[in-house]
Amino acid sequence: MKLQEITNGITTADRILIIVLVIFSALGFIFIKKAFPKATEVRIEVNGKPVYVLPLTSDTTISVKGEIGDTIVEVKDKKVRIKESPCPNKICIHNGWVDRGAVICLPNRVMVFINSPEDTHNTKPDAITG
Amino acid sequence: MQLQDKYRIALLSAYAIAIHSFENLMPTPIPWFRLGISNIITLVTLILYGFRAAMMVTLIRVILSSIFIGTFLGPAFMLSFGGGVSGTFAMGTIFFLSPRLFGPVGLSLIGALFHNIAQLVLAYVLFVQKIEPILIVSPVLITIGIVTGIVNGIIGNLLIKSIKIGMR
Repeated sequence: MKLQEITNGITTADRILIIVLVIFSALGFIFIKKAFPKATEVRIEVNGKPVYVLPLTSDTTISVKGEIGDTIVEVKDKKVRIKESPCPNKICIHNGWVDRGAVICLPNRVMVFINSPEDTHNTKPDAITG
Repeated sequence: MQLQDKYRIALLSAYAIAIHSFENLMPTPIPWFRLGISNIITLVTLILYGFRAAMMVTLIRVILSSIFIGTFLGPAFMLSFGGGVSGTFAMGTIFFLSPRLFGPVGLSLIGALFHNIAQLVLAYVLFVQKIEPILIVSPVLITIGIVTGIVNGIIGNLLIKSIKIGMR
């Protein structure tokens, strides 16, 4: 079968319709991506128990009560940092601003995770030894 | 309606039911996704025998094959029915207004588009009732609809040609 046999039933209006629809659906994809950004959330856990869940797009500073004192977590411009911590070595504060993964303050048992809601299950430990 | 036309409608409906049922048995990557190849029969009927025959074939196909598959009056039937009727109606209207403007490919595309739109509206009104999932899913469905619409139109075009050769 020749290619011409397939294409000779297609009128000019058909071609215009195809082009218009392709542009229309491409615009649809762009619009959807703009209108519904991937929902990412910040999850704060103390001793493995979720304490706060807030969207990454919020600009807030909250105080989390941990084992040895209050850890202050700041969310701004889709980034997260631990601002103040009562722990001795301040590793969590030196981590600075983080936009993915996690910031963990072990002495105070405060863990801050950044993840989209659908991959929360990945943050569970594979195994615990001890 | 002549007796010969009734035979033709019966034969075309039988083809459509067979294709529709076969399509339902085929596994697809996305749950709701169907190729819509039974729309080829509707398209051929519309161009060769007119709107009334096409609508009749669509109604017979949707109702009978849903009884055979076992989804009659269920959610899948509602979507199938609404999509089928509105797709046929859109194709018929365009074909009635200007038969020469669009070829089989264009008509098939219009049918696929209105089929998808009707199903999305029905899914929103009857089942989901939240606008976000419908809006997120609609560009994907419409893009798939464009591809399957073009392919179905080309197949329908070839089919119409060979039927016309056979009728001479």
